[in-house]
Amino acid sequence: MSAPVEAYITVSAILFFIGVVGVIVRRNPLIQLMSIELLFNSANLALVTFARSWANNDGHIFAFLVITVAAAEAAIGLAIVVIVFRKTTFVDVDEVATLKG
Amino acid sequence: MQDYPLLFLVWLLPLFGAVILWAFGPQLKSMAGPIGSALIGVSFIAALASWNDATAGAGAHQFLFSWLPQFTFGLQWDRISLVWTMIITGVGFLIHVYSIGYLAGDKAFARFFAYLNFFIFAMLTLVLSDNFVGLLVGWGLVGLASYLLIGYYSEKPSAVAAARKAFVVNVVGDIGILYAVFVIVSKIGAIGYGDVFSHVSKFSPGELFAVCLGLFIGCAAKSAQVPLHTWLPDAMEGPTPVSALIHAATMVTAGVYLIARCAPLWNASSDARVLVGSIGALTAITGAILGCAQWDIKRILAYSTMSQIGYMIMGVGVGAYDAGILHFLTHAFFKAQLFLGAGIVIHNLANEQDVRLMGGLRKQMPFAFAAMTLGVLSICGIPGFSGFFSKDAVLSETLAHGHPIMWAVGVLTAGITAYYMFRMLFVTFLGTYRGHVDPSELGLRHPELAGTTAAHHEDDDHGHALHAPAWLMSAPVALLMIPTVLIGWLDFGGENSPWGQFFAPVFGHFEAPAGVPPDVLTSLIVLVLIAAGITVAYMRYGNPSALLDAVPRLRAETVRMPGALSNAFYFDAAIDALFVRPTIVLGKFFSSVVDPRVIDAGVREASISASWLGHLCRSFQTGLVRAYALALAFGAACFAIYYVVIGAGK
Repeated sequence: MSAPVEAYITVSAILFFIGVVGVIVRRNPLIQLMSIELLFNSANLALVTFARSWANNDGHIFAFLVITVAAAEAAIGLAIVVIVFRKTTFVDVDEVATLKG
Repeated sequence: MQDYPLLFLVWLLPLFGAVILWAFGPQLKSMAGPIGSALIGVSFIAALASWNDATAGAGAHQFLFSWLPQFTFGLQWDRISLVWTMIITGVGFLIHVYSIGYLAGDKAFARFFAYLNFFIFAMLTLVLSDNFVGLLVGWGLVGLASYLLIGYYSEKPSAVAAARKAFVVNVVGDIGILYAVFVIVSKIGAIGYGDVFSHVSKFSPGELFAVCLGLFIGCAAKSAQVPLHTWLPDAMEGPTPVSALIHAATMVTAGVYLIARCAPLWNASSDARVLVGSIGALTAITGAILGCAQWDIKRILAYSTMSQIGYMIMGVGVGAYDAGILHFLTHAFFKAQLFLGAGIVIHNLANEQDVRLMGGLRKQMPFAFAAMTLGVLSICGIPGFSGFFSKDAVLSETLAHGHPIMWAVGVLTAGITAYYMFRMLFVTFLGTYRGHVDPSELGLRHPELAGTTAAHHEDDDHGHALHAPAWLMSAPVALLMIPTVLIGWLDFGGENSPWGQFFAPVFGHFEAPAGVPPDVLTSLIVLVLIAAGITVAYMRYGNPSALLDAVPRLRAETVRMPGALSNAFYFDAAIDALFVRPTIVLGKFFSSVVDPRVIDAGVREASISASWLGHLCRSFQTGLVRAYALALAFGAACFAIYYVVIGAGK
């Protein structure tokens, strides 16, 4: 064990925070998608860290699952962005509020 | 469990007839009358054939089915049921035959006989049932049959109104019985007569009185006792055979039946005896007084029916059950006879019912005159005729049971009865025919106010194009003459008479206390009063000088009739003011205030609340992805902080 668990977790938390801020603050859907990838990967980092520290492979398997889901999410998210971009000229999520109640 | 197939025959043949005539009336056409009559005749013969079953011991019992544990239904065939069944099917059969003639050519001939058969079935259900619930079923069904038959001339608004009134008043009575049944079931847990009567001691005196009161409300409504009698005179809107069968001979005596049947309850409650006896006496004299003021021949008979049922109720009420039932028996014959005789008159005068427009019919219709004279002599209690025996039995036993005031009222009523019955007889049959006199000369400007609702030739449309042979109407009346005169002799000899022996096993032996005046005294006083009544009637209506200037005399009497009499003591107005109008006001209050402001407002409030809640929830749905993300992050942060705090706490 080269570095203490806290270090990995700290990095994971920082990545998660950056991701959350990115999703909330940025209006460009592409940037938001990238921020979501950051969230996924911060979670992956935490999972792998705990898996190693407790010598339990469940965490690794979870990480793989998350990677798969992230891939699917990216595909669908990008498809939505492309469709929205075709309909409107703006690339701003706040402009796409047609589901307002 | 012995079976009595004949009993099913007695009971169900009329129902079979009703269904057949109802279903195939248009096909059967004029055959409907003979078929309906024949079925009742067979029912009567079957009842006769099972006579010995009823008189053997405590009678026969036929189990039908079990409704709930302790609640079984069955038919009871004992001496009381027997007497009623004999009258219902026997007199019923004669009146069916009479109706073939009376209603010949009527457009709803088959429907009439279907209703009539249905009534017989309902009435048999009432008297054959072995428990209170079955009795209540029959009680309701005869009310329905009565409603259908009073409103038989459904194109006449007054008939429809009378039918509705009869039904509503009878429902008041049904509720009284229902209430009594509830008390019985809650206290004893059974509905069979035998079970209830063997546990009478389980009732406290107050409960027993409540049960008797509930049952008596039913009796009062069905048997036209004050103050629930107002439907009976109006019920004369029905065809005359219906008045004879339902509103004179059978249905209106259901109250007498119920009290006689529930004799163990009345024996145990002296309060109930006083109440019922007093109401009976009050009804007897009220009916008699009002009978003096009527001009419609059927209404005179209706008030006399009411008065005579008052006697019966007084008899069974004070505990003289066999006397009350005897009066029912004789009354069934002489009143049916009177009604059927009046029916012949009405039929021949094209539905004229006002006696002021009759007169001198003795020569035109000698048979009707003879029939009605016999009926009148019997109802007045002329010695030798059947009414004499039963009325004297009721009166002397009332005195023997220690009710001198009721006795006095009954004796007085006998005198008034003689007066108004002879008044009817004289005005209708003596003198000269007044049918061609201008009604206004008789003071008939306002037929309704003058106390008649006769259908003045307005119902010619159900005329009598097809005249049935006259014997169809006269033969039943002729047959009825025999019991009208003779049936009372059953009671000749008091305790040891056939009648006294017949009911001795049912009601036991009553030992009159010492010091009661002998029966002969009652008979003598009654006879003096009857003679006085007849004399007054003769002086006013029957003597030659009165007959000569009958028109001005009748006019004077019509015009000077006191309002209290022509309005039947304002019973209708009082019921209208006390119950009908408050109910209408209450209904209007509910329709104008409670319904729009409470019920509708509640529904409206629910819809407004739902809509408001929807608005609130909709405002969260901004459509902004970033806002959702913020909410998510905030929620997650809350969880994180919560676990941090929990963790710190440990």
